[in-house]
Amino acid sequence: MAMQRELLRHIFRKAVTIRYPFKDRQKVHIPGDFRGMIAFYRDRCIGCSMCFRVCPAEVIEMFDDDKGKRPMFYLDRCTHCAQCEDICPTKAIELTAQYESAGTDRTQMILK
Amino acid sequence: MSLEREERLASEIKDLLGSRAVEIKIQRIRSIFVTVKKEDYKESIRKVVDRFAITHLSTITGADSGQTIDVMPHFSYAGTKITFKSSVPKTAAEIDTLTDIIPGAVMYEREIHDLLGVGFKGHPTPERFILPDDWPSDVYPLRKEYKVVRPEPIPKT
Amino acid sequence: MPEFTVIVGPQHPALKEPESFTFWVDGEDVVRTQVRIGYAHKGVEKAAESRTYIQNIPFIERICGICNVAHTICYTQNVEYLYGRQIPRRAEFIRTIIEELNRIHSHLLWIGIAGHEIGFDTLLMYVWRDREVVMDLIEAMTGNRVSTALMTIGGVTRDVTPELATKIRKGLDILEERTKYYEKIVASESTMLARTRGVGVLTREEAIKHCAVGPTLRASGIKFDVRAEDPYAAHDEVPFEVITADTCDLFGRVVVRVYETIESIRQVRYCLDHLSSGPIRIRLPNTPPRGESVSRVEAPRGEDIHYVRSDGTDRPSRYKVRAPTLGNLAALVEMLTSKGDYNVHVADIPIVLAGIDPCMCCMDRTARFIEPSKDREWVWTWNQLKKYAKEK
Repeated sequence: MAMQRELLRHIFRKAVTIRYPFKDRQKVHIPGDFRGMIAFYRDRCIGCSMCFRVCPAEVIEMFDDDKGKRPMFYLDRCTHCAQCEDICPTKAIELTAQYESAGTDRTQMILK
Repeated sequence: MSLEREERLASEIKDLLGSRAVEIKIQRIRSIFVTVKKEDYKESIRKVVDRFAITHLSTITGADSGQTIDVMPHFSYAGTKITFKSSVPKTAAEIDTLTDIIPGAVMYEREIHDLLGVGFKGHPTPERFILPDDWPSDVYPLRKEYKVVRPEPIPKT
Repeated sequence: MPEFTVIVGPQHPALKEPESFTFWVDGEDVVRTQVRIGYAHKGVEKAAESRTYIQNIPFIERICGICNVAHTICYTQNVEYLYGRQIPRRAEFIRTIIEELNRIHSHLLWIGIAGHEIGFDTLLMYVWRDREVVMDLIEAMTGNRVSTALMTIGGVTRDVTPELATKIRKGLDILEERTKYYEKIVASESTMLARTRGVGVLTREEAIKHCAVGPTLRASGIKFDVRAEDPYAAHDEVPFEVITADTCDLFGRVVVRVYETIESIRQVRYCLDHLSSGPIRIRLPNTPPRGESVSRVEAPRGEDIHYVRSDGTDRPSRYKVRAPTLGNLAALVEMLTSKGDYNVHVADIPIVLAGIDPCMCCMDRTARFIEPSKDREWVWTWNQLKKYAKEK
C-alpha cells in the first residue's frame, strides 16, 4: 500500500485539530479584513441611502433621527456580502472580525 | 478588436440560409445571434450543424417576451457561441425538437417544457422534470404572468 | 427478464443534495435509468428578475457554494458585455487568481469525496487536511474561507498586496508537494485502481453525442476547455495545458482532476509574477443598455453558461443559468445503463454518481430501484446503499 509510510510517520505526530471552543480558543487565527458582523459609525453617516439600495437581503432599513436619515440593521438577515461596506462613500459601515454571533432571540439582533 | 472571423462566419451562414435568416447579428467577439422563423427552425439548424460539423450544444434558453416565447439554442463552434433565436406565440406554444440532430438536447427541452410550457414535437421523454407531480398542469412558473407572492411573516406568539 | 424495483430514499448522504433516480435492475446489474430533479429548486431565475443587477451578485454567488467564483465571474462578465466596456487588466488577473484557487479547492474536495465513496476514508482525511491550506489562502485574500464576494460589476473589490502574494506563494509550494504525492497514490493504490478502472464508462462518441462537459468529457479524450476555446479574464495570456485522459472511465476522471490541480497551481504562480499595475475597478452606471448577452466560464465541474436580457431598467428581464452538472445528466444516464459486455452493478452507483462531481445545489438525489418481475420495490437510505457498495 502506497500510503503506509505516510501513515506510520503520522502516528508520532500531534493531531491537527484545534479544540475550539473548549480548549484552544486563542489559536484560531482571523485575518484583519474578515467579513464578520457589521459595525456602524453614526458620526460618519451622511444619509445617502446607498447601502439600502445595494443590500440583497433587506438587512437595512432607513429611518430618521435628530441628525437626519440613517440605517438600522437586522443582523440576523445579513449574508456578509460586504456590498454595503464597499459602496459607503464615508466608510461609516465596517465588517469586523467578530464571528461568534449565535443567539436565541431575533429581536436582540437589531443594530440601531 | 477586429471582428473579421465573426464577419466571415456570419456571411457564410447567410449564404447557407438565404432568406430563411431573418437577422444575423454579431453581438461581440466570439458571439453571433441568428434569428429564424419558427417554421424554418429545425431545417436551418440542421443545415448549419451539418455544414460546420457542430457537435456541442451548450443549452437551450427560453424567454418570455410578452406575447411570445423565444426559444434559443446556444451552439459552440471553434470557440464561437452561435445562438439561434425563434419565437412561438404563447397561445400555440409548440416547436420542433432537436433531439434527433443533437441527442444532448433532451434535458434542456424538458426544462423549458416544464417551466415555460413550450411543447417540443417528437421529444422522446416529455415527462415532468423539475416541478413536483402535484403541480397544476397549466401553470408555468417562468412566464411573466406568474407572480411570486411573498409569504407573510408568522407573528410571534 | 426478471427485474426489481428498488427505491432509495431522497436524502443523498454523500453530497447532501437531492436528486431522484429510478433504476430498473436485473439481479445485480442496472439496465435502465430515469432521472427527476427539482427537489432543491430555488427559483433563482425567477427571483433574479425582481432584483437589481448589484443586488443579484450575492444571489448568483449562492447558486453553488463551492463553485461560487465561476458563477460570479460569469454573471459580472455577462453584465459587463451588455455595457460593452472593458475592465482593467489587473482586475482580470485577480479574477483568474481567485478562480484557479477555487478550482484547486474544489478538486481537492472531490478527491477526498471519491475516496470516501469507495470506502477509502484515509484519503479523505489527508486530502481535507491539505484543503485547509487553500482555504486559509482564500480567507486571507477575500475575508471568508469559501464564499468569496470578490466580484463587482466593473472589476473586483479587493486588491492583492505584496505580502499577500508572498503568503500565497508559500501556500502553493505546500499544495504542489502534497498534490504530487496524491498523484502517486492515485496511480498506484490498489483499492483505488480496483474500484475505478472500467467503471462508469463513457465512450468518446457517447460523450460527444450527449454534450457532456468538464472533466467527464476530458476523461474520454476530448480536448474541450472553455479557457482555451473562448478565453475570458486573463486566460488569453496565462499559459496552461488542457488535460485529457483516454481511459474513458472513472479512473480517467480522477487522473484529469489531479493533473488539473497541478496546472492551476502553475497558473496562479504565473499570475502573481505578471500582475499588471493599475486600478482594480471601473465605475459603471446602474442601468445597462438594452440588449442580450451570453457568457461562459470553465467552472471546476465543466462549462457554465449564462444568458442575460436587459430591457433598459436596472433589473434584468431574463437571467438564465445552465450549471455544468445539468450538462452531464444525459451522459450520466448513459453511463448507468448496462449494454453488451458492459455491466453496471448496483454497488458502483455511488461512485459513478460522484464521478461527474455533481454540484447538486443544482440537483437532488434519491435512488429508486425497480425490479418488475419479482414485483419488489424497496427503498434504501443512502447509508444503506453506501454500506452495500463498501461491502462489495
